[in-house]
Amino acid sequence: MMDTARRRYIGRMIPIAIAYMVAVFVAGSIIPNGAAPTPLTVVVALVPASAVVGFIWAMGRYLTDLTDEYVRLLEVRKALVATALTLALASGWGILELFTTVPRVPLFYVFPLWCIGLAVGSLVNRLTIGNAGPCT
Amino acid sequence: MKNRLKVLRAERDWSQGDLAERLDVSRQSVNAIETGKYDPSLPLAFRIADLFGLRIEDIFLKD
Repeated sequence: MMDTARRRYIGRMIPIAIAYMVAVFVAGSIIPNGAAPTPLTVVVALVPASAVVGFIWAMGRYLTDLTDEYVRLLEVRKALVATALTLALASGWGILELFTTVPRVPLFYVFPLWCIGLAVGSLVNRLTIGNAGPCT
Repeated sequence: MKNRLKVLRAERDWSQGDLAERLDVSRQSVNAIETGKYDPSLPLAFRIADLFGLRIEDIFLKD
């Protein structure tokens, strides 16, 4: 049975995810490629960013709402794996960009990479302590 | 850390789900504690001890 914290988490994440996708689509449609950073383009581009902040807030609330300490441990471990993976890949690629001519990767991809890291964290949980955690 | 949770639960004919419900935790938490994969916090250890009417050290044993 789904606990209250997880129900609330999903209830928050669904509208935020929809808002994020719509905001990215709208920003991509309105702002021409290579547009200058005018006040208008910056404001439009920052709308999806506010949805990302919403994602992070919802995840934080989920961790504080959880009353089951073991499930919280699983979730925190997943977030740590995701953070470690993201920092390692972003920093490693960033150094390559600094010293070589590898293709530039937009910082936009940092957050999706972190979300993929959560799935990796789930796998790490399963392989090390036998439980993936409920949220992946 | 070793513990006698499985034995105490079996004595009362409780499933892991029954114990989880009484402790207000998930069944996977009970399983992780029973199998020694997770050591509970002190407040949860006290709740477990209170539920069985025992002292913490009667349930959780030094390795």
